[in-house]
Amino acid sequence: MTQTLAPPSPPRPTVRKVAEPPARRTRTFTRPLQYLALLGYMVFLGFPLLFLLSTSLKTPRELRSTDSSFLPEKLNWDNFGNAVEKANLAQAAGNSLYVAALTTVIVTVISLPAAYALARFRTKLRGVATVWILLSQVFPFILIVIPVFLVLKQVGLVNNPLGLVLVYTVWCLPFALWMLRGYVAAIPVDLEEAGAIDGAGRLRVLRSIVLPLLAPGLVATSLFTFISSWNEFFFALVLIQDPGLQTLPLTLARFFGAEGQVQLGQLAAASLLATIPSLVFFLIIQRRLTSGLMSGAVKG
Amino acid sequence: MTAVAAPARRRRRRGDGRDAWLLVLPALVPVVLVSVYPLAQGILLGFTDARAGLNQAVHVNGVDNYTRLLGNELFWSSFRIGLIWAFGVTILQFLASLGLALLLNLNLRLRWLARTLALVPWAMPPVVIAIMWRMMLNPTYGPVNDAMRTLGLPGDINWLGDFSTALPAVIVVGVWAGMPQTTVTLLAGLQNVSPELHEAAAIDGAGAWQRFWHVTMPALRPVAVAITSLDLIWNFNSFALVFVLTSGGPGGETMLPALFAYNEAFKYGNFGYAAAMGNVMVIVIAAFLFVYLRGQARSRES
Amino acid sequence: MKGKALLGIGAVAALVLSGCALNGGESSNEGESTSGPVTLTFQSLAYQDSTVAAVKDIVDTWNSDNPDIQIKLTQGTWDNVHDQLVTQFQGGTAPDIIHDESSDIMGFAEQGYLADIGKYLSADVKSAVSKDVWDTVTTADGKVIAAPTLLQTYVVFANTDAFTTAGVEVPSGKELSWDDFQGVAKQLTANGKFGVGWGLKQPTAAVMNTALGFDGTFFDTKDDGSATIHVGDNELAVPERIHAMAYDDKSLDPVSLTQSGTDVLPNFLGGKYAMYVGGNFLAQQITESAPTGFKWTVLPPLAGSAGATQAANPQTMSVSAQSKAPAQAAKFIDYFSSAENQAKLAQGDWLIPASKPARDAVAAETKSTPVWTPILASGEDLAGAPFQKAKNYPQWKDQFATPALQQYLANSISLDDLKKQLTDGWSSIG
Repeated sequence: MTQTLAPPSPPRPTVRKVAEPPARRTRTFTRPLQYLALLGYMVFLGFPLLFLLSTSLKTPRELRSTDSSFLPEKLNWDNFGNAVEKANLAQAAGNSLYVAALTTVIVTVISLPAAYALARFRTKLRGVATVWILLSQVFPFILIVIPVFLVLKQVGLVNNPLGLVLVYTVWCLPFALWMLRGYVAAIPVDLEEAGAIDGAGRLRVLRSIVLPLLAPGLVATSLFTFISSWNEFFFALVLIQDPGLQTLPLTLARFFGAEGQVQLGQLAAASLLATIPSLVFFLIIQRRLTSGLMSGAVKG
Repeated sequence: MTAVAAPARRRRRRGDGRDAWLLVLPALVPVVLVSVYPLAQGILLGFTDARAGLNQAVHVNGVDNYTRLLGNELFWSSFRIGLIWAFGVTILQFLASLGLALLLNLNLRLRWLARTLALVPWAMPPVVIAIMWRMMLNPTYGPVNDAMRTLGLPGDINWLGDFSTALPAVIVVGVWAGMPQTTVTLLAGLQNVSPELHEAAAIDGAGAWQRFWHVTMPALRPVAVAITSLDLIWNFNSFALVFVLTSGGPGGETMLPALFAYNEAFKYGNFGYAAAMGNVMVIVIAAFLFVYLRGQARSRES
Repeated sequence: MKGKALLGIGAVAALVLSGCALNGGESSNEGESTSGPVTLTFQSLAYQDSTVAAVKDIVDTWNSDNPDIQIKLTQGTWDNVHDQLVTQFQGGTAPDIIHDESSDIMGFAEQGYLADIGKYLSADVKSAVSKDVWDTVTTADGKVIAAPTLLQTYVVFANTDAFTTAGVEVPSGKELSWDDFQGVAKQLTANGKFGVGWGLKQPTAAVMNTALGFDGTFFDTKDDGSATIHVGDNELAVPERIHAMAYDDKSLDPVSLTQSGTDVLPNFLGGKYAMYVGGNFLAQQITESAPTGFKWTVLPPLAGSAGATQAANPQTMSVSAQSKAPAQAAKFIDYFSSAENQAKLAQGDWLIPASKPARDAVAAETKSTPVWTPILASGEDLAGAPFQKAKNYPQWKDQFATPALQQYLANSISLDDLKKQLTDGWSSIG
């Protein structure tokens, strides 16, 4: 539940273009300083990524020598191949894909009607849901994971990807609901009313008016659900024990933990490979995510 | 939006309750089964002596776990570490993100690049972030020590292995990992600050600092309060990052409460005792939030 | 309102069900064995390429010879084997055949998770291993809960070129006393290079094992598995010497003390350290990754006031009490423990077989590799140590011994503090 739920904020769903810099008079003096600060941030944020990339391209010999340069001598892609082959990366990626994709489908299917209800109907449910969404952030995993483990054990879902799917579904639901509710609320009710007056049935109104308008938001929500399940570590750590069922984060963590000689280049390569799907999806949805976070907070 | 929607809703009011329930039901079932029920059970588990073992009988032992916890110095030291970590990361994250958000709100070149970089950690699996920083901070081949040596500073520090540097180093990684959410939120908040107010203040002769303090900050306040509260909760409960970075070491110096409770349950098999630790964590974090949010609410009123 | 009501319902349901959930575990199958073909899972912790291959080889041979008892090999890691076993046992998903080490499994035995395999093992396997080592896998009430396989000792690796350059003679002989070791280290320290690098990020096992060389036993165990701690001069001799080398002589790089053995290795291979202390299994990594022309050897076993004795903490093969076919599982372990197989595994990992015939086989097969001689010699003096019988040892090790030793070795607490923390820690869990 960490790192997913967005904070409420003032109602301003669309993010405006950059505000004009107010301090024009002092610009000549402050501009260089501002660029310097921006550069500092970029180094802090970007350098670790570059280092990871550079490490993944180095040969084992370069990595062993104590005085190698930051840049690899030449682009050496062996680490990527070796990582996939040796660390069972393909199998782990398959497991992760299965779990994340199934979770995404289920979350989308069950959160869509619920989000609609929460956005459109003024019932007690809305208060309960909001309380639950917020509460689910406060409770530490550890409190949930032991009983979840025991519950899943009773139904034979420990050490089973489906158990993980079930847990991730519930874990991703608060955020998905939060976002989708915002997107639904942003669609003017008038449109639905107009459709209803034209004689279209409720379901048809939903399908032909609401759903198309909701599509971009739905995609953003689904992809975010996918990313969250793809990246998750803690529940997988407790619930999956069979090495053949491990998800990518587990495999990576054990790769590093292995007492044997750590193949740094391979580890870096594997880490990058594991990040790519989330990163691509994330960059696709980032604009919408930002506005979604904000609109989710619209009080209705 | 509220105003527009209201009349329509009123008309439809009658069947709403049942429809809403039907629509929410598919989501409600898994939530109750895998969230509400286990949560309730987890809370109750904290009042039992449940532990690992074949055919172990479980007894309710009242507040025994809590009296034992009171005397468990290691737990409280982990609690102290957890608070330093949570507050350290949250505060630094807020300051760093505020700075970045202010810069991104200006019309600077390369803003797109900085913005993208600022978002990347959000998409990365925490495990990968931890692996990456373990490499960065490695005493032998890590570039952080290389940089130290280049600057003529001692370059053989084992950042994550040394008692004095482990916690600060882990906090820096925590700030790195959590900056995106905070930055994006604050940036969105900044873009809601009225430029007219700024101009009016500028015409009145207010300097940049005064405008920031008297125009920007008050407008930003609700967003800032919300995001810092959430950051605090997330950080206090965070697990994966530090688990992979240090596993709580050296010598428990980075043993966050979540890790401590995890070990109690899944290393030593004391499930009931571990659940009791979880209960204490909830109460403490709730208390901090209560005090913080009430304080914020009060000062906003006055 | 509704939230509260829901929580209330959940709480009641939980009250009713919590008992079931916790007691719903599988019952023990010990004693009743199924007949007919079975497939058993074997979780191996082998991680070096050579050993992984050897294990796979053994399993494949077994599978083709025993169509009725098929072994499915899965891979675990030493790093998290304990946590993993806790969840596996609790979840009823534990492998049938479990690879671990003796100091880690006593707690599981106590909780009833490990089957008594004494009655299934053959006389050959039993007689091949010394009583001292069998003791490390026998519970207080006489159950044999594992078969010991390979043993690790702490040995001193030496970069012989560094000795030549410094004009220091490479120690030889039957043993190397700690005093001499300390002296040599001092002679080899100069110009930013250290005599010794020792990856002691996890110091407890090393200290417990080598303390026996000074008669440092730490615990007095009773028959019921309870134990009392005693931390005196003998127990503290090893940490005290390491501390002196790091901070008085400055012949041991204190940074290495905060790192893992694997992290320190590149600096040994790069010439920063003339000597490198670690488990003998590291020999495999040295052979794999040493730069060409790097000359190294293993020094004679380190000896304290009580000789070159170290604690035997063998790797073990156990059978889960939840296994449907303990007899068949034990049969595989019996095969796995044969001299031939153990000799094969030992060479892959540079470890010492617990079985005497297997040790002889290794000695015969490695005549052309003289480095093996001191490694095998260090295995002759292995003794049982009481800490393995103390059931709370793993928790004490994690929560008290490791932090206290780390702090002492980082020079941030005194020897008296160390003593106090070790002692008080034990009484707080005991």
